[in-house]
Amino acid sequence: MNERLQNSLEYLNVTIITHKEGTDLPTKFKYKKRSQKEKPMALDILLQAQEKQLPDLAFRYGCRARNCGVCTIDINGKPRIACRAVVREGDELKAMSTLPVITDLIVRRDQISRQLKGKIYEGGRKNDLNLEASEDYHELTSCIECYACLDKCPMHEKNFSETKSDQDCFQWGNPFSLLKLQTIATDPVSTVARKEAAVSAALELGLETCLDCPGCKCGVGIDLKGKVIKPLLQTSKLAD
Amino acid sequence: MNIDLEWRHFDVLVIGSGGAGTNAAESAAKAGASVLLVAKDPLSASDTKISEGIATVRASGSEDDTEEALSENLKIAGSDLPVEEITSAFAKDSQTAYDKYRENGLRPEISSITKGPNSLPLPMGGHTRRRSVGHKNSGLAFGHANWNAIVKENKIEYLEDCWVIDLVTSENSDDIRTVEGAIVYDAQKGRILAIRSPSVVMAAGGLSTLYFPKTDTMRGNTGDSYAIAARAGAELVDMEQTQFLPFCLTSPPSFEGLLGGEPVTASYLGVLRDKNNKVILDGVYLRTRAECSAAIMKAVENGRGTPNGGAYLDMRANKKAPKSGTYFMKFLQNSLPSAYNNVRQAMNKKEAQCDELWEVRPSAHYMMGGIRVDENGQSIGDKNSNNGVQGLYAAGQAMGGLFGANRLGSTSLTEGAVFGSRAGFAAALYSRNFNNNEINKDLFLKEAYKLNDLLGQRGTNHASQLKIQVQKECWNNLGPIRDKKRLKKTQQFISRCRKDLKKVRIGKNLLWNQSLIEYLELVNMIDTAELMTYAALERDGSVGGHVRADCKDISIFSKPYSTKVKVRKSHIEVSKIDRKRTELKKLVEFKFKEQKRFLEAKLLRLLPMRFKDAIIEKRYKKIMGSKNQAPPIEPGSIEAAVGEQKVL
Repeated sequence: MNERLQNSLEYLNVTIITHKEGTDLPTKFKYKKRSQKEKPMALDILLQAQEKQLPDLAFRYGCRARNCGVCTIDINGKPRIACRAVVREGDELKAMSTLPVITDLIVRRDQISRQLKGKIYEGGRKNDLNLEASEDYHELTSCIECYACLDKCPMHEKNFSETKSDQDCFQWGNPFSLLKLQTIATDPVSTVARKEAAVSAALELGLETCLDCPGCKCGVGIDLKGKVIKPLLQTSKLAD
Repeated sequence: MNIDLEWRHFDVLVIGSGGAGTNAAESAAKAGASVLLVAKDPLSASDTKISEGIATVRASGSEDDTEEALSENLKIAGSDLPVEEITSAFAKDSQTAYDKYRENGLRPEISSITKGPNSLPLPMGGHTRRRSVGHKNSGLAFGHANWNAIVKENKIEYLEDCWVIDLVTSENSDDIRTVEGAIVYDAQKGRILAIRSPSVVMAAGGLSTLYFPKTDTMRGNTGDSYAIAARAGAELVDMEQTQFLPFCLTSPPSFEGLLGGEPVTASYLGVLRDKNNKVILDGVYLRTRAECSAAIMKAVENGRGTPNGGAYLDMRANKKAPKSGTYFMKFLQNSLPSAYNNVRQAMNKKEAQCDELWEVRPSAHYMMGGIRVDENGQSIGDKNSNNGVQGLYAAGQAMGGLFGANRLGSTSLTEGAVFGSRAGFAAALYSRNFNNNEINKDLFLKEAYKLNDLLGQRGTNHASQLKIQVQKECWNNLGPIRDKKRLKKTQQFISRCRKDLKKVRIGKNLLWNQSLIEYLELVNMIDTAELMTYAALERDGSVGGHVRADCKDISIFSKPYSTKVKVRKSHIEVSKIDRKRTELKKLVEFKFKEQKRFLEAKLLRLLPMRFKDAIIEKRYKKIMGSKNQAPPIEPGSIEAAVGEQKVL
């Protein structure tokens, strides 16, 4: 067997873009496969890189089973959930491009939740908690909050072009925030006032941007366009 | 020396944003307290979020369900180690705690009969009543509710990416410590916070990461709750009681540690084999998790382990039975869908179809021991609340005393909600007396200087790499089976580790300093592991999640006790606390039933195939009911290991 082939059976070469004090630094890493047939996920690569070559490499992870939503990174420029994203020879692993990078692959996440602070659950709820929710409601609560949906979102991009990004919360919305608001709108326990408040919050976050957008993509397969954007546009009377 | 501290003042500081922390923050805020919630992971990313999403709601299925019945179920399951006041509080509040989740958006299926939350069709093992409610999207549904609880109003301040360095306490002449606040490292903003807060709710989860990657829980479980509380002077109970799930995956690396099955899903004919194909445990479905884990680990020790240090789970016989075989696969898939999903992705087709053996190995899942508290989550000592750490509260996995040696199915989500709420409320009330208290700045500065000294520490060691060594050590010598020699070895390892800590290289920068983060977590892991070794040596016998290979099983007829560990003047003190035993009559009845079950299982195995097949078919039909679907089983629960059932 020639040396190159042997190498490809035992190793996988990737580039990890580390980030310190505002500067990107590409680092080559040779992942040693634990068996020839192993198809490592991005998280396996990062764990081994930290063990063997970059002891202070910073990255988020949690459950390793695509449930907790914290390990999202960009692979070749596209958002992927690191614990379940198969990596191929030559791939580039980098922090998500859609959120401010702090260090290495760590992005700041809380500017998103803060934009809904005090805005959800306005308008009260019904007293009866024994109301059954629709299938749509349950589809929306299958969101793992991985933020893959931020990719190419024109509404979210406005946060970086029009306003300063170092504020405590984003001014403009994103598919996740809209999903949280639409969840309230489909919640059987919400009063009419609460549902209306949720829709006006969506408008405030820049819902009209969705009119000219081909649609967003969910990291775990929720039909964002059909179950979030379209109903919000309809209730807000921005579209029929 | 120069250190920039950002001073903040709150009534209640909550550490952790899972089920326990969220409920604590919400109920403290409702009681009028100013609340800061800090978490090292993003908001609501916790074991609650990744759980199976089944909660205990008393009387949701059976009308005759009483608080006494639920409390007693918990106590017997925990081998009489649980504290009655705590199990009673759990039973008393399960419904109201669950409704708080519903107020924040948790939507169960509604029963057409009771018009309330629909409980699972059968009582979960160990429960004598139907009272477990499952949810669409499992733990994610709870994760969203927790997220909503924090974000919905402007009442609760929260900070992600924050590591608590230590609590700040003062000490009076009677050695009683009182919480003054905490020093917190905010990695996201690159600053050190001095949080003045008369009360702290510790809700930072468990310790399963001590065994990473042999765990199916969140990475953040580095024992922070126990280590931080112990350093502040709190007593901890039952620290040897870790729950391991025996049948977890060994490979590929991305799936290592995740759940594959439970004793009960091995079904009636499942057996464990070593690498030479020899049966090392039969009647697996009747065994406790600890028995299964011990059988696997003993084979490994004797050089008969599988390539990845486990054993083979053989379920082929279940499938081969002509009639009942057709039910088996359905039973396996339906009863533990998340686990079967892992198997399907991680193994090949023949293995996933149970035509080949599964390589399995135990994984850490849950910590039953923890901070010694009363029924309101307040840190206590032998003289009750008078000599615990004043102002320290705990809830969720951080607390001890509810589950003792074993945990009933569907109880952990309810635990977080019940004791989170209780602790948050009690902390808010306690803090009302401290409104205009002066800040003892020197106490804070002392802690902050310790952190300042660490920044820029020189050395050749890396904390992230030492962590891996600690994990290996914990797995080998403090894992599913233990003995005195190994526990002593771990203690020696720990003292060597403490020397290595002085040579860990730590960066100077404050903005997301990963080397500092790794160091802080490493210290918590070492401190927790050391406390566990003391408790594990004190408990010189096997009970519940603690298996001592060099000692006998502790009989259920002997006087039950909890172990207690406490740090005093940098020494660890260990002792026993007597617990109340369940009535003798009930215990005898239990023993009798246990023997009967094993005898039945043995007879079943010895029967010729056609008789065996017919009996098993009938059983599957009974479990799956008219819908031909097995009810879901929660990993870690008693019904997933019927050998742990202690219901009369």
